[in-house]
Amino acid sequence: MKPGIFISLLTAATCLTALVLNGCTNRETPVSIGNREQILHRGIGAEPKDLDPHMVTGVTEFNIILGLLEGLVSQNPKDLSPIPGVAESWEEATNGLSYVFHLRKNAKWSNGDPVTAHDFIFSFKRCLSPKLGAPYAYMLYCLKNAEAYNKSTVTDFSQVGAKAVDDYTLTLDLASPTPYLLGLLGHHSWFPVHPPTLKKFGEEQPDSKWTKPTNFVGNGPFNLKTWDPDKQIIIEKSTNYWDREVVRLKEIHFYPIGDHKAEERSFRAGQLHVTETMPLDRVMFYRKHKPEFLRLDPYMGTYYYLLNVTRPPLDNVKVRQALAMAINRKNLTSYVTKGGETIALFFTPPDAAGYTCKSGFKEDVVMARNFLAEAGFPEGKDFPKIQLLYNTSDAHVRIAEAIQQMWKMNLNIDVELINMEWKVYIAATDALKYDIARAGWIGDYVDPNSFLDMWITGRGNNRTGWSNKEYDRLLAEAANEMDNNIRHDLFQKAEQILMAEMPIIPLYFYRSKHLINPSVQGWDPNILDIHPYKFVYLKP
Amino acid sequence: MLNVETDLTERPGQTTENSIWYDAWSRLKRNKLAIASMAFLVILSGICALAAWITPYPYDLQDLETGAASPTLKHLLGTDILGRDLLTRLLYGGQISLLVGLCATMVSLIIGVPYGMLSGYCGGKIDALMMRIVDILYTLPFTILVIILMVVFGRNFLLLFAAIGAVEWLTMARIIRGDVLAVKEQTFIKAAVVLGLSRPRIIFRHIMPNVLGTIIVYTTLTIPKVMLLEAFLSFLGLGVQPPMSSWGLLIRDGAEVMESHPWLLIFPGIIFSITLFALNRLGDGLRDALDPRFNKT
Repeated sequence: MKPGIFISLLTAATCLTALVLNGCTNRETPVSIGNREQILHRGIGAEPKDLDPHMVTGVTEFNIILGLLEGLVSQNPKDLSPIPGVAESWEEATNGLSYVFHLRKNAKWSNGDPVTAHDFIFSFKRCLSPKLGAPYAYMLYCLKNAEAYNKSTVTDFSQVGAKAVDDYTLTLDLASPTPYLLGLLGHHSWFPVHPPTLKKFGEEQPDSKWTKPTNFVGNGPFNLKTWDPDKQIIIEKSTNYWDREVVRLKEIHFYPIGDHKAEERSFRAGQLHVTETMPLDRVMFYRKHKPEFLRLDPYMGTYYYLLNVTRPPLDNVKVRQALAMAINRKNLTSYVTKGGETIALFFTPPDAAGYTCKSGFKEDVVMARNFLAEAGFPEGKDFPKIQLLYNTSDAHVRIAEAIQQMWKMNLNIDVELINMEWKVYIAATDALKYDIARAGWIGDYVDPNSFLDMWITGRGNNRTGWSNKEYDRLLAEAANEMDNNIRHDLFQKAEQILMAEMPIIPLYFYRSKHLINPSVQGWDPNILDIHPYKFVYLKP
Repeated sequence: MLNVETDLTERPGQTTENSIWYDAWSRLKRNKLAIASMAFLVILSGICALAAWITPYPYDLQDLETGAASPTLKHLLGTDILGRDLLTRLLYGGQISLLVGLCATMVSLIIGVPYGMLSGYCGGKIDALMMRIVDILYTLPFTILVIILMVVFGRNFLLLFAAIGAVEWLTMARIIRGDVLAVKEQTFIKAAVVLGLSRPRIIFRHIMPNVLGTIIVYTTLTIPKVMLLEAFLSFLGLGVQPPMSSWGLLIRDGAEVMESHPWLLIFPGIIFSITLFALNRLGDGLRDALDPRFNKT
């Protein structure tokens, strides 16, 4: 290269850099513009697969749908108690087996159509339709005959326990008392969809085009304005929403930033009000230097290890107990995960709708060694080499390495770490082709049932091969019990069995981790980490 | 020169080779940077190999309460997130990285060099056929190939070497073939043919020394490439599994936390870059030293 060209290139580069830097420092950030204009910028972690409430499964999608659609009943963001949504009021039958909902007459779809009870019936029918194959159809199984309809053993929807008495009255008949029904109604599988729009674009088609911005018709506080894949999704305040006076935000911009570190940098650069999550190693930094931006709230989820009880030596309950007792969870949460998580000595997160397990186990290295000796492996002698499987992720590796070391130090047993990509990992655990596997469970609704009924023999998420008749009986009894105290007693007994048998090793209870700009108001902490946007506003 | 001449008269066959290596060595000795690189690599390999005697810590000894701490006298290069001594992990990781680099490169040499030579020397239909086979193998996606190998043979560390080598030889074979094509047209090869020398003798005695430079340079470039591949495979869960480590993995982990704990990226990064630099310098020096076209002057 000639020096002349080099110098001119250098000059050009310098000018460009100066321009960029200058632009960065002087320009108003999206956050400060947003504060003035009431535009919320939120990271959602991933590109949503769809916005069809009956087809999506992820938290990402739910966080957008929450602004676009509204169910019969909503949740108070402070304590998750039911508050009126499309239904103004409701009555519960004394036997707990049926509900009557009175819909408000001023609820409208975004195109001006009134929201009627028939629309809800249409939506429930669609969600349960065997042809659609909605992944969360089982959330509606508490309705009479819903499961049978979903599995095609009943083909006539009129036999399912959901009826529109007139345009504004809806009755739900339940298969068994479901004390947490009103909480369930906040789940997106119960959300209504606009029948004419669905009919136009294919109502039982999984990838229907009705969720495209120009086609989307919703009944929530916001409308879908634009959707640029992998870039941003914008929703704007609806003019037809019945409670529009309460809604203060003008627009919400969602950014699908999958890389936690990139998201954190965007936040620092003033491009996001709220992040989806944050890098683990930054928690300490924010805690020390900028605590006002850090939000760590209890979250209704448990991080645990699955034990394959069909394989020796894990078929021995003593071995399982020894493994569980030999872990120092306090060290794990304070030095490895570092997100303020609480340690888990039982499975259901504490205070799930007033229920906290009373019969957890204790960490006790001496006892763990004794148990291991009783199982025939004194001082870890002759203990076969078992594998610990986790899905590929930095956080999981670190936790697995720490636990591997604890078992080595405390029990003198060797565990081999194996990582797999998520889909392979799911296939391996489903087929019981593992020894120990990492898992996490987030409650779908606020009730211990969401955590305990998955361990019933043969359930899809019971990927341990564990089965206990007494446990199954207690859960079945609880499902038919009206009285919450008796239900909780049944759950206590069931969880006691679960923790004594130990097909799983609970490690810690999750915390939701967000970076949040102090200008965001009405973002109340709750254990489901849901934040209805109608109550959110920005204070510059 | 006189020395060489006398050797030649006494034992013709062996001494020609001796003189090549002797000349190469004397030329290499003059290249200070190459010698320094070689010394560095030898010392580094030695230290890594003796890691167990050098550092007082096992590579997987954790100290959760210390966590990630910057360098101190106790831990010269600091500790990682789980409180493990970084120096120790670097040394043990070096064993893996250097071993993978060397073995996989050897595998690629053992397959690639004869294959390329044969293909280039034979020419015609045999050449076309052999090169088409290489083309076909090229089209196999590397990751899938390795995954299939892992599924068939199970998780085995040696297999990792073989798998990487088995993929890397393709490029090696092609480059060698191209070089051989050029060399075999030269008059001294024609002379050898006329003299009635056997084909293997021509290939290994007369062509090989002329393509040795290329082989060596490409080898030194393959080693770092293989080290990076190993890191990539380990990340996919197909290579080294934690708590064992390799340089590639250490760098990747370090990059994750570079803002809060920069030393976890800096030290492995420095060691890795210096090693690659040394390999390249050495390769350069060797090429200059071994090329018979820079003849004995």
